[in-house]
Amino acid sequence: MSGGWSGIPWSWNIITDVRLLWSFEFMRNALEAGTIIGILAGIVGYFVVLRRSAFASHALGHTGFSGAAAAVLVGAQPVYGLLVFTMVTASGMAVLGKRASSRDVTIGTMLAFALALGLLFLSLYNGYAQEAYSILFGEVLGISSSEVALTFWSSLGVLAVLVLIYRPLLFSSLDEDVAEAKGLPLTLLNLAFLLLLAVTISFAVQIIGVLLIFALMVTPAAVAVRLTSRSLSAVVVSVLLAVTGVWAGLFVSLWTNYPPSFFIVGIIFFEYVCVRGIGALRATALLQGIEAPEEEGVRSLRNAALAASVSQVLFVGGAAVLFLSLLSVPLAAWGSSVLSGRELGAFVALGSAAILGGVSSLLYFSGFRKMATSSREFTTPAFLTLVGLLGIGFTVGGLGLYLAGVDLASSAYGLAPVAELFGAPLLLLGAIFAVVGFAGQAVGGWRMGLRYREGSLRAGAILMILPLVGYGVSFFGYRRALARGTPPGPPVPST
Amino acid sequence: MDADFLPSHPPVYRSAVAPLAGSGTPAIHAERVEVRYRNKLVWREATFDIRAGEFVAVIGPNGAGKTTLFRMLLGLHWPSSGLLSVLGAPPHRGNYRIGYVPQRHTLDEDTHLECEKLVRLAYPGTRWGPGQRWRPLQWGPRFHPGAEREAAAQALEDVGASDLGSRSLGALSGGELQRIFLAEALVGNPDMLLLDEPLSNLDLRRSRELVETIHGLVRARGVTTLLVAHDINPMIKCLNKVIYIANGKVAVGTPDEVLTTERLSSLYGVHVEVLRDSRGNIVIVGGEDERGEEGA
Repeated sequence: MSGGWSGIPWSWNIITDVRLLWSFEFMRNALEAGTIIGILAGIVGYFVVLRRSAFASHALGHTGFSGAAAAVLVGAQPVYGLLVFTMVTASGMAVLGKRASSRDVTIGTMLAFALALGLLFLSLYNGYAQEAYSILFGEVLGISSSEVALTFWSSLGVLAVLVLIYRPLLFSSLDEDVAEAKGLPLTLLNLAFLLLLAVTISFAVQIIGVLLIFALMVTPAAVAVRLTSRSLSAVVVSVLLAVTGVWAGLFVSLWTNYPPSFFIVGIIFFEYVCVRGIGALRATALLQGIEAPEEEGVRSLRNAALAASVSQVLFVGGAAVLFLSLLSVPLAAWGSSVLSGRELGAFVALGSAAILGGVSSLLYFSGFRKMATSSREFTTPAFLTLVGLLGIGFTVGGLGLYLAGVDLASSAYGLAPVAELFGAPLLLLGAIFAVVGFAGQAVGGWRMGLRYREGSLRAGAILMILPLVGYGVSFFGYRRALARGTPPGPPVPST
Repeated sequence: MDADFLPSHPPVYRSAVAPLAGSGTPAIHAERVEVRYRNKLVWREATFDIRAGEFVAVIGPNGAGKTTLFRMLLGLHWPSSGLLSVLGAPPHRGNYRIGYVPQRHTLDEDTHLECEKLVRLAYPGTRWGPGQRWRPLQWGPRFHPGAEREAAAQALEDVGASDLGSRSLGALSGGELQRIFLAEALVGNPDMLLLDEPLSNLDLRRSRELVETIHGLVRARGVTTLLVAHDINPMIKCLNKVIYIANGKVAVGTPDEVLTTERLSSLYGVHVEVLRDSRGNIVIVGGEDERGEEGA
């Protein structure tokens, strides 16, 4: 893939890191092409999901494989072969499979033939291993600036046509028979759409390869339609998810020296799992509310606010003590010095803060659920509280994995990088979930305090901002330590 | 509104009087119509008139050619011989004066889209470009801004589904979905409604409710309505006419004329018994292949 590239040093200062990434030309090209494709795939993908053409997009990707192989065989750029083959196949699909019900068989038949052709071309071409690998799994870091330009102009063309046929396409996707009766040209619309899909796929293959095309073409849109039922917002969400996946995948891949396609697909898959999981959670009885008098709900919430406040104070106090004492220790002695009594006390405070925090979240949850029976507006805080609890779980799990990975790295286990790889994102995600969850908890508590004129609820909500202050203090403490020299932690992945 | 903005579609949703009501021209005129599907005779010798503003049930066994009748009226299928005119003109595809609810639908419970969007897309359903604000990209009739939203809201209100507008299509029950489809058919302010088995998946109570809604529309707007149904009983009291299609033949008349033992027996060529209970419900026994009909 990217030769002997061994990952860039990660400084934990996002601005410097992004600036560093941007200074590499191959990275600029990859980011530009990735962004264009992310936008295009997000939009076209919405129609793929709506028209149930997931199989068609999968098949077009595979057809592209033989196109690329043919192009390599005759010494042309793979993308031209991709374009020709996918567009011919798309036309065939549109002509042969008129009705949605009979499409699958047509598509599958053409798919098998196309793949067989690809095999033939590959065997005719001698040095095939590297080329085949990059077609199958993408080579986003090998994109040249002329390819970026081609991608850009073609994407503009696709978008222009899509804007033009937006309404009829949407209508015929939703209600084929009525659209036909209204005089819309169904076959033409289907052909136009499949051609747009073919072009989009041909360029997306450069990023993530024919085997993984599904993740970029279908999954973001499938996630988006579950989040919103408005067509325009679904398109926007789908684009955001696809672009986030590409960016985050590229960044993480450069940082860790593993293939970008894996991270792009992995992140998009994770988005999918989260949304499905949240959807399943929302449907369960957990969030349906419990029958209880209002006073009882308010009482639970008051107790929750109390527990949360004590927990936050303990947390911030413990963290402050710990950091102050760490800063006073010479750098060389970090990690090896014996804990002083003060530090031990700080750890105990942090531990009890965590336990109390968990208890308060549970109390908030039950309080919101009791309120939810009288007012639907409190199902959201209840849900967010659950997300926060999930975040705590993720954070603990991620931290464990990460530390285990660092620990294993000294020995020769091949598992070490895997543990690190999954531990760090899990940790980050857990932190995000926790922050979102606690924010929801705080806002819900604040609104409840306003409604029932409960000062303690409002005070609890305000105190919940304290951990953010704590994070800020820790961050600046760390920066100060950095300024004094290279600290030993948090550990940089050893590669 | 500017003269060049005058649409061929009515820009305002509600027209006070159906144009054809009382004018003497029948909404549907069929003369010795014969229809074939893939070279197989479906039915022939159909001669009938449906007057404007009538509420008509189309009944008959599966595969008798009820949907084919609708497809002919929509201009999607041509009679192999005979004369057919719809709303005073030969049937043609894309007739905006007809609202259509097909039997088969593309969407299912995985369709996550607001109901209002579907209704708006059907107004009038043939426009290109992304939305109503993109005037330069629009072909065909133009509308004043907001017309689409108003029309959709009005159509949803008329079918008693205003509260469903922001719900997702995939989350609706069968009865709610049928109301949305009805609104989708109504939104262009048509003079004729063709409803293909809207009651098929509904229980008796929902069926009656939907029939009441449809009957209300027929009376309030004078819109000619043809409704394919398996069970005629939920609507028997509101019907003006019945079109009974069976055995390659078409019988048309008031329910009392058509749904009699003599008439149906002669239509089928075998003995068919039409039974009525004390409340006017009808059971048809016998008929094609001597099987019990689903008409009860």
